Amino acid sequence: MAPTVLICDDAIFMRTMVGDILTQAGFEIVGEAETGVQAVEKYRLLRPDLVTMDIVMPDMGGIDAVRAITKLDPNAKVLMCSAMGQQSLVVEAIQAGAKDFVVKPFQPSRVLEAVQRVLG
Amino acid sequence: MDPSRYADLFRTESREQLSALNRALLALEQGEAMREPVDAIFRGVHTIKGMSATMGYTAVAEFSHELESLLDKVRTGEQGLTAELMDALFAAADALEDGIEAAREDDALSPAMKRVLERLHDVAGGRATAEFRVARPSEAFRVTSEFSAALGVVDATPAPVGAAASGPTASGPTASGPTAKLRVVQSASTLLPGVRAFMIVQRLRELGEIIASTPSVDVLQAATTPQRFEVHLSTSAGAAELERAVRSAGDVDEVTVALSAIAPTAIAPAAVAAAARPDFRRRVTDVDEGDDLTSTSERATPVAARTRHVRIELSRLDALLDLIGELVIVRGRLGAITRALALPALQEAMTDATRLIGDLQTEIMTSRLVPVGQVFDRFPRLVRDVARQLGKDVLLSIEGKEIELDRSVLDEIAEPVVHLLRNAVDHGLELPEVREATGKPRAGRLTLSAQRDRSSVLVTVRDDGKGIDRARVLTRAIELGMVAPSTVQLDDETLLRCIAQPGLSTAEQVTDVSGRGVGIDAVQSRVRTMGGSLEVSTESGVGTTVTIRLPVTLAIVRALLARVGNERYALPLTHVRETMERMPATIRQVQGRDVLVLRDEVLPVLRLRDVVRLPPGQEPVMEEIVVIERGDRRAGLVVDELTGQEDIVVKSYDAVRDGMALFSGATILSDGAPALIVDVASLL
Repeated sequence: MAPTVLICDDAIFMRTMVGDILTQAGFEIVGEAETGVQAVEKYRLLRPDLVTMDIVMPDMGGIDAVRAITKLDPNAKVLMCSAMGQQSLVVEAIQAGAKDFVVKPFQPSRVLEAVQRVLG
Repeated sequence: MDPSRYADLFRTESREQLSALNRALLALEQGEAMREPVDAIFRGVHTIKGMSATMGYTAVAEFSHELESLLDKVRTGEQGLTAELMDALFAAADALEDGIEAAREDDALSPAMKRVLERLHDVAGGRATAEFRVARPSEAFRVTSEFSAALGVVDATPAPVGAAASGPTASGPTASGPTAKLRVVQSASTLLPGVRAFMIVQRLRELGEIIASTPSVDVLQAATTPQRFEVHLSTSAGAAELERAVRSAGDVDEVTVALSAIAPTAIAPAAVAAAARPDFRRRVTDVDEGDDLTSTSERATPVAARTRHVRIELSRLDALLDLIGELVIVRGRLGAITRALALPALQEAMTDATRLIGDLQTEIMTSRLVPVGQVFDRFPRLVRDVARQLGKDVLLSIEGKEIELDRSVLDEIAEPVVHLLRNAVDHGLELPEVREATGKPRAGRLTLSAQRDRSSVLVTVRDDGKGIDRARVLTRAIELGMVAPSTVQLDDETLLRCIAQPGLSTAEQVTDVSGRGVGIDAVQSRVRTMGGSLEVSTESGVGTTVTIRLPVTLAIVRALLARVGNERYALPLTHVRETMERMPATIRQVQGRDVLVLRDEVLPVLRLRDVVRLPPGQEPVMEEIVVIERGDRRAGLVVDELTGQEDIVVKSYDAVRDGMALFSGATILSDGAPALIVDVASLL
């Protein structure tokens, strides 16, 4: 069975792109979220194998969402999506429980490497 | 992956972000609570930065990065907000918009973008930090030291998640036991090497306790170039396990592990303390550490949208509309054939088909409806700019944003409304001093509203300015022969007719004195081609109201079919109030003119035959009357016969532009015959 993914980003553009990369690699996108709050709710519902999480989102940022998701499920596998210049935020996200990160602009190979690492 | 596939998506979404950004800028300028708009602006710029970087649109990425850095300072309160900065931010939003439209791969900042950035930096007093360039080694030192300095001022912070506390012992380094020394070399291509280094350190903490690290953990964590570093830790883990842990953090080129059973002699307390201290310098949101999800979502509920959306290209919706239009015509024809054949089974099937086609039509029309807010939201910015340019104070309020119109109507309506708003600010509203002198508040009130009125939508632009100078318009109108020289007073209808004349409206001296007129003719002709109508009411010193009445949809409208002689005409129901058979007593002669007495009203009577200039035919035995109305004006329109009601598909009709004011379009009737659509409003 294909591993399931929840994509969290407030930009459709980014969700589409991440979704395309992962779909082509054989993943199944089971949900998308536009805000941190949605991300946590959908995680609770869908229990995906992997979550990709943008850092800056309305409502609740990605870092707080990671914190909430990790609280729900200590084994949650969250991959942060970061822009250049967000180094300290990524560190914070990792401390909050994210397993790895990728940097925008995305290169498919790097995204997949990170995903492999996260899923072990 | 071919990013060009995403170019459309990029532009569409960037435009949305920009419009949200402009809204937030306005909210900020109007002194609403500071944090929300600033956060929204920051997010918008951030999202655009991410998308443009992904597309390889360097100029937009770089521009939005600089803007973001500055906004971050505003957000943290480091940079105060001044009027100059607001202006510069508006200019930046415009430059960003132009940049997005013009974006190409690997493009450089345009001169305009550079100017705006310079202005921003001037206004903000010095350059915003340029973290985007941090990747360049030459700047690494500056950023690193800034980063460390920032770390130094962090308040006491809660214990880090899964850091030192999760190590084998929580009470400081063990005094004896096996240790390991690791040398790690990060890959040259590592992105955010500081984070990777931090992850390596974190993985190692899970296996033991860090005694020392060279460079120190906080320097590593802030590194912007790939690092070679050494970590000394107290651990009982084996070499393979340690290497695996390091590699699992990613982007590691080389790891060498040296195990030792001897107790460490040199402990570096500073490095350990630093290693245990998380970086809380910046936060994305202000949600408190202790907040649980419930409280956060409560705070966030107003924004939560539950419906699912799919994006469709507009051209697809248009194609669907065309198809349903054709289908509606065919349905009419099939209906006629079915009635003629009178086969029960066919009739039954036809009834089902008719219902399904009707449902389909409703669904398609509904899917095309868009709240007017989508277009109206652009106007506050426009009004602000015009007002500022003219030195006027304007309070714009927008009502009825949620009213829905067909996408194509909405697209068409934007330009006329812009015209009316500009006019109101330019010619209607007075300068603050003038207003004050006449006892009005300094700021002029301008209202743009939308409301539903049966099958039409009214869009109203109302100002509390000086109103149109009827006397001056009258003088000009008499000079130009538009009204009889004996006219003493212009009513609203005649006034509109006069100012909507190209000749009068563009005459500069009238424009200056009369206070209005520029482009009203353009507005009116545009509205008329949409099957709508325009009304104006104005009072000297009190203000002017212009109302546009529009059908909810352009493409398919319900119409009465009227026969005159052998010709048939379609009368859209937008302006039809009621119909009646002509009884001998209903039409009377008053002062040699036909009038219709309807309940307690006396209405003028028009004959469609005369209006369309058909030769007088044989007086029919019985005529029918359509009561048409526009605003407060009504009239009876006499036709030979009303043959029914039909959904008609409006085909645009070029003659309208050439001043043939009577018809707003043409259509194909269900029997396949063409018919002209009468612009009923123009008869009033």
